[in-house]
Amino acid sequence: MIRRLLRKNISIAQIAGYALANLLGLAIVMTAVRFYADVSETISADAGGNSGLIPADYLVVSKPVSLLNTIGARSSGFSDEEIAGLRSQPWAAAVGAFEAADFNVSASIDFQGRGMHTFLFLEAIPDEFIDVDSRNWSFNPDAPGEVPIIIPKDYLALYNFGFAAGRGLPQLSESTISSVPLMLTASGAGRSDSFRARIVGFSSRLNTIAVPSDFIAWANARYGSGAAGKPSRLILKVDNPGDPAIASYLRQCGYETASDRLDRGRAGYLLTVFTVVVCSVGAVICLLSFFILMLAVTLLMQKSRTTLHWLMLLGYAPAKVARSYYRLVGVVNGGVFVVAALCMAGASSLWTGALPGKAGAWPVLASLGAGLCLTAIITLVNFYVIRRYLHRLF
Amino acid sequence: MTINEIRLHGVLPDVFVGDSRDKGDIWLADMAFRRGKFYLVEAESGAGKSSLCSFIYGNRSDYQGKISFDGRDIRSLSVSEWCAVRSRSIALLPQEMRIFPELTARENVEIKNNLTGCCSRARIEEMFGLLGIADRIDTPAGRLSVGQQQRVAIIRTLCQPADFIVLDEPVSHLDERNNAVAARLIEEHARALGAAVISTSVGNHLAVQYDSVLKLSAKS
Repeated sequence: MIRRLLRKNISIAQIAGYALANLLGLAIVMTAVRFYADVSETISADAGGNSGLIPADYLVVSKPVSLLNTIGARSSGFSDEEIAGLRSQPWAAAVGAFEAADFNVSASIDFQGRGMHTFLFLEAIPDEFIDVDSRNWSFNPDAPGEVPIIIPKDYLALYNFGFAAGRGLPQLSESTISSVPLMLTASGAGRSDSFRARIVGFSSRLNTIAVPSDFIAWANARYGSGAAGKPSRLILKVDNPGDPAIASYLRQCGYETASDRLDRGRAGYLLTVFTVVVCSVGAVICLLSFFILMLAVTLLMQKSRTTLHWLMLLGYAPAKVARSYYRLVGVVNGGVFVVAALCMAGASSLWTGALPGKAGAWPVLASLGAGLCLTAIITLVNFYVIRRYLHRLF
Repeated sequence: MTINEIRLHGVLPDVFVGDSRDKGDIWLADMAFRRGKFYLVEAESGAGKSSLCSFIYGNRSDYQGKISFDGRDIRSLSVSEWCAVRSRSIALLPQEMRIFPELTARENVEIKNNLTGCCSRARIEEMFGLLGIADRIDTPAGRLSVGQQQRVAIIRTLCQPADFIVLDEPVSHLDERNNAVAARLIEEHARALGAAVISTSVGNHLAVQYDSVLKLSAKS
């Protein structure tokens, strides 16, 4: 009966106008969030399996090698001041130095009766930058057992698709390589020792042959000349590799880095900017539509002012009288959310087929979550406005 | 909550402040309406009868002085307490009746009865019959005459348990026969509940036996 009394002043045109405007805004926001989540997931998957909207990434920084380096007139190492300068940058989450081996290293392998022997170089970086399972990533000088080694994924690819294919050698999987025992021979300072070693991981982040820093520190002291040089490469952990400040700083200091990371980061950065702009447009439309709804509901209550007042004079509580309006706002906003979700799903079919890999559930959840949050905010603020109006009228 | 006494301490509508006319038995007086008693408040138009009813019902608060229910200042009542008062303790028949024209006569009564659960459907129909509007029970109230609407409003007022029944010119549009029937229904209802009746009048007053007749204001 109350609903019947209050329904008479509902303006279908106003509510439809609001619903259309809110649908437009909500669909834009949800579609943009979905697009952002889908594409950023692809970008982060390309970047080495990190997850997250814009994943933290690692950059390896070095100085350019020129003729001056060749003739020994200039060092390509980083001074303490230069490292401190990098550390002080707001975008640098962590800075680690590559520690090079100051001794001769060779590795030998006995694989299916074929012996191979090669000179090698080793480097170490702080453990926090290691991107493989590091359970066995340690070396105890007091009980020198197996030395764990990480090699770049690219090296294996070079062997499998370049060397092995050309020479008729068998191609090797990561697990096969990991099961082959190696023999490392370290020599220098009048000493020479051999160690068992094993490849424990393949890194897409490190372009070097890495061993634990404990091993390098111990071996440098034992076999090295004692002339520890400055690190010639640094590894940086950055929150957003697309931050233009990074490229700007590196250029200003004359440092080099793997450009694809920055490019990919830049793509992620542009994606973020694009999404923020589109989401903002959608949010502004939602905000404007919210005002339309607020005006429509306030006008509706104003037109029903006498009826509302009389109902409350009969003893009806404002909350009970408000239920009709709550229902109206809830149903309209719920409907708008459902239709916006369908629009988002329809729009996403335009690009999901073009993206490599299968997208997870989280882009959908992020999009629905964003839409639900906006809808909830609009609905709750309207509920508050209705409640306040009725309490004032009481 | 049961209200046994409505007390007025120096109450005066804001619009009468500075007015030097005689204020009668209620304005600016220290007086009380007690449960179980029948009061007739007589006054000319513009003396503040409807204002008095609205003040007591919490509909308006543009007065100075203090009105209290059993010692509690009614200005301190919360929204939920007023809702309880209006559906359990004080029944009001406003002068303008406040009938919803888009609802039928029966629905206008049921909208109150649904809230209070006071009367059965049969009792409501019986009251319609006694007041001579049984044939109009399902007619939209907007199509009823003013006198018929007043009878619907009387039935709606009686669909509520109350300690005080406040009637603002309840029979101003009724003939003598309907006045007598309305008076009997109201009196029976009030006696059954032990409620007080406060009825205002400009001349044609509800035909019940009053315990007290109060003048709201005298001539200049």
